[in-house]
Amino acid sequence: MITVGMDLGTQRVKAVVLKDDAVISRGQAFSGFDPTKAAEEAVNEALKDADLKISDVVYFAATGSAMEMAPYSNGTVSMMGADAKAGVYLFPKARTIIDVGAEEARAVKCDEKAVMVDFIVNERCAAGAGTFIEAMARALEVKLEEMGPLSLKAERASSINASCVIFGESDVVSLIHRQESKPEIARAVFDAMADRISSMVNRLGINPDVVLIGGVAKDVGFVASLKRKLGVDVLIPDFPDYAGALGAALTAATRAKEGKK
Amino acid sequence: MKNEKIEKKYTPEIPTKEIEELRNSIKTASQKIMAENIERMKKTDPNRPEAMKYFDEIANLFGKRPTEILAEKEKGKKVIGYMCLFAPTELILAAGAIPVRVNSGWYDASKVGDRVVPVEVCPAIRSTIGAEMIGLSPFLELSDALISVLTCDGMTKLSEILSDYKTVWGMNIPRVKDSVHSLRFWNDEIKLMKAQIEEFTGNKITRKSLKEAIEQTQKATKAFRRLQDLRKGQPVIMGRDAMLVNQAYLWDDKVRWTEKTEALCDELEKRIQRKDWVCSPETPRVLVTGTPMFWPDNWKLPTLVEEANPKGIIVADELCSGERILNDPVGVDEWTMDDMLNAIGERYLMSSTCPCFTSSDGNEDRINWLINKVKEWNVQGVIYYVVRGCMLYGMEYNRIKKALDKINIPAYYLDTEYTREDVGQMKTRVEAFLEMLTARTEI
Repeated sequence: MITVGMDLGTQRVKAVVLKDDAVISRGQAFSGFDPTKAAEEAVNEALKDADLKISDVVYFAATGSAMEMAPYSNGTVSMMGADAKAGVYLFPKARTIIDVGAEEARAVKCDEKAVMVDFIVNERCAAGAGTFIEAMARALEVKLEEMGPLSLKAERASSINASCVIFGESDVVSLIHRQESKPEIARAVFDAMADRISSMVNRLGINPDVVLIGGVAKDVGFVASLKRKLGVDVLIPDFPDYAGALGAALTAATRAKEGKK
Repeated sequence: MKNEKIEKKYTPEIPTKEIEELRNSIKTASQKIMAENIERMKKTDPNRPEAMKYFDEIANLFGKRPTEILAEKEKGKKVIGYMCLFAPTELILAAGAIPVRVNSGWYDASKVGDRVVPVEVCPAIRSTIGAEMIGLSPFLELSDALISVLTCDGMTKLSEILSDYKTVWGMNIPRVKDSVHSLRFWNDEIKLMKAQIEEFTGNKITRKSLKEAIEQTQKATKAFRRLQDLRKGQPVIMGRDAMLVNQAYLWDDKVRWTEKTEALCDELEKRIQRKDWVCSPETPRVLVTGTPMFWPDNWKLPTLVEEANPKGIIVADELCSGERILNDPVGVDEWTMDDMLNAIGERYLMSSTCPCFTSSDGNEDRINWLINKVKEWNVQGVIYYVVRGCMLYGMEYNRIKKALDKINIPAYYLDTEYTREDVGQMKTRVEAFLEMLTARTEI
């Protein structure tokens, strides 16, 4: 049985093709101004990779902030619901799943059946999410992907305030004026983000195992800071940015088995 | 009757032309929103009770009701507005005056209020200031005087700011409920307010007129509780419809509102006999609590819950714009003036679960109240709604959450603003919460 999960995020659309509960291919595209078209591209890329056609798919499920704009969709699942499904699928002992994307960070607590029992979302501010790193990389004149490795070279911690992207940026400028080194400033950026996210997760309460997913999980600098702040081990799957789409594909499989259209 | 000569200590002078433009644009938008809210309520329940027609009409804040009040005023009646539910409306009624609640639910008016207070202030307060500055709210405009009960910080300063425009009487409410002095102190405030109202209206509050006002309000409470009780069982009325009925009491004629609510209940009882449910009995049953949600703009959370996918139904609330309006009757032993006044004092102070109070055990009253409500109304999940700047509700959340955890009831903290722009983000959260409630019941 073939099912497809689509995650229509604010920056990228990700698609995952699932065959009998195993991932067989993935695809992605920039969301841009037309998330529907982007999702078509992502899905077609993934299906092409697996040598499949749209008609081979039993069930398409969509998640992500633009889920209602999804093409081919047979149903939707909330981002938090998809996080729980993917987290427990990837790590059966996962009970707390942290998802940090471009515009939003959230944490979901779930049970052993991957049913979410509680969740929390960052307070409508990009400072705890991926775009914050982008803005700070711009201020430091380094590439986004260089930020993580750079931060690991820091010899000591300095701090900035991540209450807001705008204020964060002016804090970074003051550090530049104080002639702090780039690695230290990069680390301060990740520490500030990790601070915000860990206090959010602590408000929810941590049940191990803790899993980190979302595009920002690929950033080694952020991961190092988050582990330090949370003080617990954090598991990261391969392809953490596809976890939302995977959760949707798993939901699609469950629904297809139950005969829900 | 605005006294133009009051020195404005807080508010800036705005040119008349600008005031008119602002008022007209917000009023036009608001009329559209009110109509849209009602259309959406009809769409959610295509078989809406007949009796709702009356409430749809009375819900028009620029419609029939302000015209009626104006006519009463022309016959010499006074209108006394109030912001918090602690204002003893029985005293207003007993003095032959008309009580109306005047908190603003207009989102755009909060932007006008930003000219006077920082944006960090609760938007319900900023919006009420803004509404007064541009003469937006018919009920606020019709008020000859205002009773402001000094509850939260916002309300306390709001009363000073509104003094730029009208006579405002502050009532000093004790915030430690179980102190022996508190009730005595508050009862004295009630007595002072009686004298104040008598002097202002020129009407003496007599034993007879006060007894009548109490009895009339008790009848309204009976109707109100009958409606709330009908929401305990299988779903027979959408939450939004019941919430609109609740809220209409704040500006409607009290006797007529009582009759119309009883008529609605009669109709609902017939539906219960026919097992004519308003939505699937499997629909997750939600209680909302937190910052008050004032008609017409601040209707977004109830709308989201009841239009979501999966859909929920609001079966109860713990809001001072809902359940708290009339939940508790004044209980009188002896119909002497003193006893009646003390009974009023006790009703307003002791029955409230507002987080502006504390006691030797914090606001334990609110927790007990919520837990009873959750059990009796078969609530499956609680949405804790807080607008930015509403400190007291925000700060009390963790205690409530812990108490609900103990009885295995999920709660979700939803923060928002007086704005329409965050509906998408709110929807994501509300739908995830409802999805969670649905998944819990399926297991």
